[in-house]
Amino acid sequence: MPGREGEIIAGDLREEFDARGGGRLWYWREVLSCVAVRLSPDRLTAPDLRQDLHYAVRVLRRNPGYALTAMICLALGIGVNSTVFTMVDELFWEPLAVPQSDRVMVIARAGDETVCSYRDYQEFERRLTAPGGRLFSGLLAYDNVPISLDVEGASQIVMGEAVSANFAAVLQVPAQAGRWFTPDDERPGSDPVAVLSDGAWTRRYGRNPNAIGRRVRIETQWYRVVGIAPPDFLGVSPPHAMEIWIPFTSQPYARELLANPAERERPRVQLMGRLAPGADLPAAAAALQSADWHIRRAFPRDNAPSGALTLAVSAGASNPGVRDVAAPISIMLLSVTAIVLLIACVNVANLLLSRSAVRRREMAVRQALGASRWRLARQTLAEGVVLAVGGAVLGLFFGIGANRLLARSIPALPHVGKVVLDLNVNWRVAIFAAAAALASAVLFTFSPALEHSRPGLTSSLKGGEAGTRRMRQRDVYVIAQVALSLTLLIAATLVVRAMLHARTIDPGYAIDHRLAARIYISEPEYTPESGTLFLARLLEAVRAAPGVRSATLSYTTPLSFSDSACATATRQERPRRSSSDVVVPGYFDTMAIPILRGRPFAPSDQAGSPQVVVVNQTFASRAFPNEDPIGKTVWLGCDEKLPRTMAEVVGVARDARYESLDEAPRRFLYRPLAQSWVGFVALIVEASGSPVEYVAPLRALLHRLDPNLRVYGIQTLEQSASDSLWKVRWQASLLAVFGGLAMLLAAVGLYGVVAYSVAQRTREIGVRLAMGAQRADVLWMVLARGLGLTAAGIAVGLALSAGGMRLLAAALYGVSPLDPVAFSAASLAWMAVAMLASYIPARRAMRVDPVVALRWE
Amino acid sequence: MSDQYLGEFEQLVLLAVVRLAEGAYGVPIRREIEKRTGRKVTVGALYSTLDRLEAKGYVSSRFADPTAERGGRSRRYFRIETLGSEALAHAKDMLDRMWKGVRLA
Repeated sequence: MPGREGEIIAGDLREEFDARGGGRLWYWREVLSCVAVRLSPDRLTAPDLRQDLHYAVRVLRRNPGYALTAMICLALGIGVNSTVFTMVDELFWEPLAVPQSDRVMVIARAGDETVCSYRDYQEFERRLTAPGGRLFSGLLAYDNVPISLDVEGASQIVMGEAVSANFAAVLQVPAQAGRWFTPDDERPGSDPVAVLSDGAWTRRYGRNPNAIGRRVRIETQWYRVVGIAPPDFLGVSPPHAMEIWIPFTSQPYARELLANPAERERPRVQLMGRLAPGADLPAAAAALQSADWHIRRAFPRDNAPSGALTLAVSAGASNPGVRDVAAPISIMLLSVTAIVLLIACVNVANLLLSRSAVRRREMAVRQALGASRWRLARQTLAEGVVLAVGGAVLGLFFGIGANRLLARSIPALPHVGKVVLDLNVNWRVAIFAAAAALASAVLFTFSPALEHSRPGLTSSLKGGEAGTRRMRQRDVYVIAQVALSLTLLIAATLVVRAMLHARTIDPGYAIDHRLAARIYISEPEYTPESGTLFLARLLEAVRAAPGVRSATLSYTTPLSFSDSACATATRQERPRRSSSDVVVPGYFDTMAIPILRGRPFAPSDQAGSPQVVVVNQTFASRAFPNEDPIGKTVWLGCDEKLPRTMAEVVGVARDARYESLDEAPRRFLYRPLAQSWVGFVALIVEASGSPVEYVAPLRALLHRLDPNLRVYGIQTLEQSASDSLWKVRWQASLLAVFGGLAMLLAAVGLYGVVAYSVAQRTREIGVRLAMGAQRADVLWMVLARGLGLTAAGIAVGLALSAGGMRLLAAALYGVSPLDPVAFSAASLAWMAVAMLASYIPARRAMRVDPVVALRWE
Repeated sequence: MSDQYLGEFEQLVLLAVVRLAEGAYGVPIRREIEKRTGRKVTVGALYSTLDRLEAKGYVSSRFADPTAERGGRSRRYFRIETLGSEALAHAKDMLDRMWKGVRLA
């Protein structure tokens, strides 16, 4: 038992033991009674602990500067951690915003992005929901579709979900206004209807209630708006935000496929279901897999994916692809913020240690009065807890602000749609912040608590110098801080350099002075024949317009909208995907893509002439290794059941980067538009002047040619290229912010240590000055200390980085993980900061008055 | 003062302290209670009660010099305070009033 109290009791026991003449049993029973009493509840919350906390608060109130500095450091550390954790939580664990979301399940098929066909879905529904089954109260089917939406003449491509009619019923989502879908809406021949999201309603109709009943044009059909979704419902594909919902069967391609009773495998959908009350997940999963097996047996098909079905609670991002991309980024960001918190904790530890000089007397007096070591340590821990709690609360507030910034920093991309990260503080985030605070408190009070409670403090009552051991400990901490923050800074610099490098990557075609407009020339306005005529007219008009050097058409938009086709070198091979494009003659000229062998497309390559293709170098070398591809045949077509088309290779184009600037070489295939009609093309225009200024004139020109022409997204190719780098840019900016923060915290730590050593050595400085040293010598002495610590820290940091940056290699396209420019730039930056951090206390040292210093004790 | 009433054990301990006057420390207090009431008192319960009484201001304590028979450890002597006397008198008064005219069958 600790302390004086224990001594008294022990004394009592000893006295009685002797008087009783022994009795071990009695003795130990007595000891046990003390323990029992100690552990009783009213003892634990005893005045002692409350006293400690009260005292801690008083101490901190009397020293607001120290308390505030510590809390702000902690707030920064905990704040950035909670922000990043909020994002990770939303991507991986956040449930859907529907009632009883823990009963809503996502059904996935291993090895396939979609689950089954719509027909199969109807079978599943029949077997698993009432009255055929009891384990699911509802099953719904859905598909994400980029939808071209025309409202009041403004066209845009937005993300939508095509859903089964029971969508809202299964999810138990009400309509804010109007209604959701009913089985009537799925009847063939019924008027197509749509439900808007709250955001779409706000943005396009200004929350006008008469939006309901209005017609919007989606693809080739007109839909009537019948309802508005509630404000917080964004669909079932987080983090994407849906703008509109339509019945799955209203899509023309779906209707066509469903009209063919022999078609079992298409159209494909995703599935979700709600568990019936009382049903448990394993039973439902088993029923699901059994139904899957039965359906396959009842309706045999070949070539169908046969991975097992899995059932899981819906949490986080719906698309496994998003999680795969997000996982390494999340790990990296969490590690970075953990390092920032570590640096902040070291700062607070140093702050606490620096106060130990001041508190020495107080601790010594307490020890003399009988306080035990644990008691003294507990006092320090109490201070630490108060600081940690204050820091955590501040940190949560700071984190909320950071959340908003982070959410806004994710760009909306044209073909990806809006990604919305809610980033609200929920209980998981609060627990995480509390855990971070607790861990920090333990971390930063460990060493000071040991320090403060060291026995033999009474000697310090008689005066004496501060222990050099403590000095060295603080030095080690600062060196660690510098090393860690340098590592982060180097990481940030590397990523920034990668981003800058990526911007200079030659895509393989010219993007300067060029802009692209996507236009629809599909049914019902245009048939392939009338469309071809219109496009010819369009090209002629655009090419003749002033300010236009050349113009061409292509199905894909470089670095933005891509396509793929299937092509193989031999008939026997299975269809093999290759990126592809459909272009008109003159495309290669306008885009400045050299044809290395053979010829580009010519006007003679018409619908009736032999099919031709142009391939890129990678395709040629992989499909026809060591051969001349010109004149060779490729077989086109992805569907093995349908006869495939033969085409002759007439040219080889130079490799380029088609989807993103940092992609690896891939196969690419060009086909002529005349032989492979598409109703949705990009008009690419090379302007003689600034392309941005040509946007409005181009729109006007197109409007003149056909006032009803649906035009989307006129954008310069340079903008598309920049957009395609958003991920790299985003990572770079986040790392730069965190690296800067880490450096700031470490610099504060360095300043603290140097300032402290100046304060400690005031007497020595006074002596030196009195003995004739120059003020400049004193300045140099202090600076040397600061720079010495920094140099050691930089050395350690460089070593750490040399090993650690390899982890980043995947994100650093084109830049070596050991890039010397980044390493030296970061080190120099740190040196500069260190000089500043050391200079301020050094100046103070210079101004020490020796007379005062020598008198000070 | 009226809302702080003494528990039974607290009263016993206080009375023991009063009885022992100057010689009231752990060992004799325990012995006194055990001798007069037959109630066994563990050292933990005793000191926790004494601490509580001291916190309420009913008793005060002081530390005496160490003695050899305690293995070089000191004693903690207790003394009743005015507040404690009042509390004790009040408790007795309450009990007396309840007992008045009661006949146990």
